[in-house]
Parts: sequence; C-alpha cells; structure tokens
Amino acid sequence: MSFIPGQPVTAVVLHFQLSCALQQRIEICKLRQGEHLILGFSIGGGIDQDPGQNPFSEDKSDKGIYVTRVTPGGPAEVAGLMMGDKVMQVNGWDMTMVTHDQARKRLTKKNEDIVRLLVTRKSLEQAVRHSMM
Amino acid sequence: MFCRNQTTRATIARGSALEMEIRRGKFRRSVFLDTLQDSNIQKKIDHEIRMRDGACKLLAACSQRDQALEASKSLLTCNIRIMAYMSELQRMKEAQVMQRVALRSSDAGPTDDRLPCKGKVAISDLRIPLMWKDTEYFKNKGELHRCAVFCLLQVGAEIHDTDMVIVDRTLTDICFDNTIVFSEASPGFELRVEMYSCCSEEDYSTGSTSRKLASKLSSSLGRSAGKKLRVAMDPGACSPISNGGGATLLLPLPTVVGPKYHLLAHTTLSLSHVQDSFRTHDLSISGNEECSHWVPLYGNVCCRLAAQPHCMTQQMMSGCLKVKQFGGDPQSWTNVYGVLKGTNLFCYHRQEDVEANIEPAFTISINKKTRIRASEKDRHNKAQSICISNHYGGEEVTHTLSADSREDTHRWMEAFWQQFYDMSQWKQCCDDLMKIELPSPRKPTLVTSKQGSLYHEMVIDTSDDISTVTDILARRMEELELRSQLGTSPPWMSLFEESPGCPRTHNRLPHSPLRCPRPGLLSSEASLTSDSDSPCSTSPCSRYSGWAEPLSLSSPSSHFRPRTLSLDAKLSTLRGRGYGGVLQCSCQPPSSSSLAPIPAQCVPQATLSCSSSTSSNSSSEGSHSPELSDGTPFSRPSSARQSLRNLRAKLDPRNWLQSQV
Repeated sequence: MSFIPGQPVTAVVLHFQLSCALQQRIEICKLRQGEHLILGFSIGGGIDQDPGQNPFSEDKSDKGIYVTRVTPGGPAEVAGLMMGDKVMQVNGWDMTMVTHDQARKRLTKKNEDIVRLLVTRKSLEQAVRHSMM
Repeated sequence: MFCRNQTTRATIARGSALEMEIRRGKFRRSVFLDTLQDSNIQKKIDHEIRMRDGACKLLAACSQRDQALEASKSLLTCNIRIMAYMSELQRMKEAQVMQRVALRSSDAGPTDDRLPCKGKVAISDLRIPLMWKDTEYFKNKGELHRCAVFCLLQVGAEIHDTDMVIVDRTLTDICFDNTIVFSEASPGFELRVEMYSCCSEEDYSTGSTSRKLASKLSSSLGRSAGKKLRVAMDPGACSPISNGGGATLLLPLPTVVGPKYHLLAHTTLSLSHVQDSFRTHDLSISGNEECSHWVPLYGNVCCRLAAQPHCMTQQMMSGCLKVKQFGGDPQSWTNVYGVLKGTNLFCYHRQEDVEANIEPAFTISINKKTRIRASEKDRHNKAQSICISNHYGGEEVTHTLSADSREDTHRWMEAFWQQFYDMSQWKQCCDDLMKIELPSPRKPTLVTSKQGSLYHEMVIDTSDDISTVTDILARRMEELELRSQLGTSPPWMSLFEESPGCPRTHNRLPHSPLRCPRPGLLSSEASLTSDSDSPCSTSPCSRYSGWAEPLSLSSPSSHFRPRTLSLDAKLSTLRGRGYGGVLQCSCQPPSSSSLAPIPAQCVPQATLSCSSSTSSNSSSEGSHSPELSDGTPFSRPSSARQSLRNLRAKLDPRNWLQSQV
C-alpha cells in the first residue's frame, strides 16, 4: 500500500491491531498412509536443541517448537498450518518446554486421529509490514 | 565421616597403651573388653583391615583406570569403616566405664527410661541432578572431562557404599540404583550421605581393543591431556583418606599412588525426612570449580527414604485374652488370641490361626487416637480389665479386654504403653507401613556401559581386526565431512593442486589434508586442536586431489600422521571404493593431466556448497550439509554411508534437528 499524500493511511490502524502475535487453533486430521498416520509437516526446535539455528524465531534463545515445513496438500496445510508457526500446545499438552523428541512423540501418538494445535504466528504482522514497504 | 562435635567420642591418644594394643592387633582379655559386642566389632575391624590390604595390593597392581578407581573406592570405604568401628568401640568402652561408675556410686534402680523400638531404614533411588553450563552441553568443546562418583551412606557405625558411576557432561543426573537398608536404626537416626568424586582421565573406556587402537592411532596426547596425565602421575602420595577428617592415624597406612577420591558434597537425613515417596533434599557442597574432582552439582539430592519400625512389622505382644464390647452384657466375653502388631490388635479365634494365615475374628485398631485405660476391678471380675476406645466414623467404640492374670494384664498394658511410645517416636512412619524393597542379589556388572549419550558413536564390536580399525577411522572421517559446514574453502585452494614445492615425504598419504585425518575426534569434539607437530603445517600441500571438501572447521593446521603401510593402503582403498572413481589409489601418483581440469571445476562447487550450508536448514529435512548432494562431478557415496550420515546428522546436536510428522 503506497502512501498517497492526502489520503488516510488505513494500513497503520491495521498494523496496530495485529502487532501482537496471533494465536491460532488448528485442528489437523491425520492421514493414514499405509501403517503410518501422517500430519504433513516438519518441526524443529526443542529444549535440547541449539536455538540459535532456528530460522523462524525472532528471539534466538527461543527453544520452542516451530513448524519448518508444510507438505503441500497434506493434512496440515489443509487445516491452515503455516511454516514458521510456533507450536504452543498439542491436544492440551504444553510444547514450550519439551525436548525435540518429546514434541515429536506428542504429535505422533498412534491412538489419536486428530491433533489440535495451538500455534502462534506472526505472519499477518509481517504481511502488513511487507505491504507497507 | 566424623562429626567432630560429638562429645561422646574421643580419639585414642597417640602412644597410649590402648593405641599400642590396637596397633598390634591384640587385645588383652581385660574386664573392659570381654563382651560379645566388643568382639563383634573387633571381628569387623579385622575384616576391614584385611579388605584394605587387599585393596592396596590391587591398586598397586592394576593397570586399567577403571580397576584403579574401583580399588581406590574400596580402599576409601574400608578406611572409613575402620574409623567408624574404632570410634564405636571407643564409645562402648566409655559407656561401660560410665555404667560401672554409676553402679558403684549409687544403687539406683533400673532406670525407667523407655527405649523406642528400632526399625529398618532404607534409602533408595538416589539421584543427584547436575548443572552443566549451556555452552558446554551444546558446543561440546574440548575433551570429555570425566569424573568417577560414588556415595557413602552411614548410620551409626554402619557404612554402605553405592556403586561407582562415571560422570561426564552428557549426563544430566547421577543416578545410583542401589537400595540400601539399615536394619537396626533408632528413631533418632542420622543418615549421613556423602558424595565422593575423583577425576578420571578421558576416554579410558572399556571398549574393544580395536576402538582403543583406533583412538590411539588417531589421537595424540594434546597439551591439556598431557598435563592431566602428568598431574595424575604425580607421586603426591598422601593417603586416600582425604576428606579432611584428619584424625590421628592410628595405623600406619601404606602410601598409595592411584586415583584419589575427595569429598564433594554431604547431607544428613533424619526421621523428619522420611516419607513414602521421593523427596528432594539440599546438599552441602565442599569444593569449587577449581578442583580437579569438581562436578557441577545442582545442589540437591533426590531420594526415597523409608522406614519400617519394628513395632509395625513384628508382633510386639501376643497372648490369650477375653474381649467384650463395652456396654454388652457381662456374659458376652469372647475368648481370643490377641496379637499386637503395627497399628492393630488382631484377635484370632485360636492361636493356630495366626500361623495358618486365617483372617482374625476381629481387629481393634491401636493408633494415635486410641485411648486405653486400665480400669479398676470389675465387679464381676477379679482381675483388672483394659478398655480400648476408638472413634470409628464419629462414634466411639470401646472394647474391654481381660487377661487371665494380673501379671498378664500388666504385661499387656506395658505392651500398649510401649506401642504408644514407639508411635510417638517414629511419628509418620507409624501411620502406614512403608514398603521397602530388598535389593535382589544380582551380579555386579563389571563393564559399565558408557553412560548413554546420544552424541557418542555406536560401538562397533567385531573381532580385533585391522579392518575394524580402518572402518572406525573411515567412519570418523565421514563424520568430519559432515561437520565441515562451518569452514569455507579458501580460494587459494585451487593453487595447491599437485604443487611440486611441497615436501613429498608423505607421499603415501592419499587424501587431501583438508580432510584433516584426525578421526580420533569423537562427535563431542568440534575443533581440531592438537599439539602434534605436523610436517606440513598450514598449507594444504601434498596432493590436492581435487577433493572439493571445504576446509574442515577452524583449525589452521592440518595434520598428517605417519601411518603404517598396511593401514595406509587399506584406508586408501576404502576411500577409493566409497567415493567414486575419480580418486585413485594413493599408491599411484595421479596423472596430472587427468586431474587438472577437475579442480578448476570443483572450486566453484566448493564455494557453492559452503555458502548454501551456512544458510542453514532452509528447506532440507534432516539438516545435514548438502555438500555432496549438489551435482558434484563425483559419484555419490553409497546409500549406506548416506544413511549413516543422516543418522549422524540427527544425533549431532549442533545441527538443528527437524522431524517430519
């Protein structure tokens, strides 16, 4: 959105509303592929991982679990999960203080067909920022 | 292990007659010492002295570090036990003397002090959390500093030791699996937990000899390792009792050279810490980071401390009784056989039922809230009767007991009083019976598996063959490839193809020095620091055989190690096999014509791969550096190696792990 002098800048208002990270609830129905139940995304991070190498986190000491890839057409993409989301909870279990393996296990429980994720995302803020450039 | 502020204990004065007797190991059968208890203790002391001699001999004779650590641990334990027994002996003698004096001076009747019953105290599942620095844990710089740690647990004169555990920075908690039971502890017991540690040299693992050989071949004694070795070899031979107890040494201790344990932390637990679940207690830490035996303790110890007083587990009193419910008609007396155990008075129909495990007729609970009263002579009965009142759910129920004779009644009352006293002394242990699991006798595992770290290599246990050694070396070199994402290949690399100026002394060496043949590095070492002098120090001279590997890591010097002929040849064939046909066997100098064009191509490849690897983990899964996967002219390594590489990448914490779900 370019700044045209004389015109009200509505983008600023939008920016204020969305300056905090959004929390999204995402419900993913696992897809059965053979004997595996897949969700269709990849995660990175964990309290046992080096947080400095996380390309998605703003704060480089954040040891949370981030979505690093979303398989196109997979259940996660269909449910609205996006790359760069930080996973806060999975089916009520906290994911902000878990090891990488614990996180993976909580997502891949065989007896659960649906996982409900609570994620935070700053993509809208970034989108607005981009649009203002 | 002494508490110096215990006034009841006194050390034996040097040169005194008693000390001389002890030195000679003989005891005059004097009136002071002629009791059963004393001889028991004496036997124990003798036993420990023999054990100590054995441990000294073992320590002097053993060559492996692990054996030395174990022997030193037994030595320390024996010494401490001897001191504890000696002090116990002293205490008993003093008590006897006091008793004699008291008897002589006054004819006071037997003291009416009630003694609480003893009990079993068990401590199990000791866990001591550690607090490594964040950077240490992730970056894994430097050699793996290891310590050997064990605990001593003492109640009175009874000292038990736990197994020894090797601690390094991959461990987050020190766990001792032993369950230790002290059978005769009074409620005022003090369980002293002491943690001893000793610095252990790095990497003296009990692995197979081929591993040892591989590590020996490929690692040299660096500056820091050498320093440690020198310190360890230092014959600063003070006796292994180094806990600062400093008691006058009664017996001439042989000076031992070997690993020395130092007291690292201690704490004292007592009845108030007893609970039927895990609890965390504070540790008092002696020592600081400067000590060689330092282990970064978080400051707590978690354990389960349980107690079973004898009043809960044993029959305290039993006999025939007549019971009737209060308020019932005088004729409704029931004859029972009563057994007082724990918080209950079990009333069986017959005495035989007790052994037969038949359910009792009824049970009267005897707990803290019970009120027991001996009533005066009943109108109908000559003997006294005992009334027991309990509150069962709001209402008060009273039972009346009557024994056969006056003495029996008196004995029962005495038993009840004792039971109440015990319950008041043992407090929370008498609420419910705490379970104590006796450790099942099992064979002590001699070879402790490496305290599991994901970041260590898999053990390769094949026969001691040169091929296993070369395999290990080859794998380690691969690993180095994996980690070479940090370095960039300097542009002057291309200049060093086949440079004739370089000394060809090591013309047998097949590969590019960039590969840095230091496979001695376990995955825990990131930097190639070394103090060995290499013939070609900085320049990657010798044959740049077109191997487009970026310079591994940050080490400025690359190293050669003169290798044996056979190993060398073997390695070269291995590599030739695995990495495509371009690299020829080292035995033949590659014709410059065939190789010359390739380096030129490769250099841009090298820089490309480096730049992509520094922008980490953009789209790749598994996050291993995409060195060889971007269309290099070389054939790709075999799939087995690729999967091994993947596994390594997964386990290496310095990659930022990604998992597909």
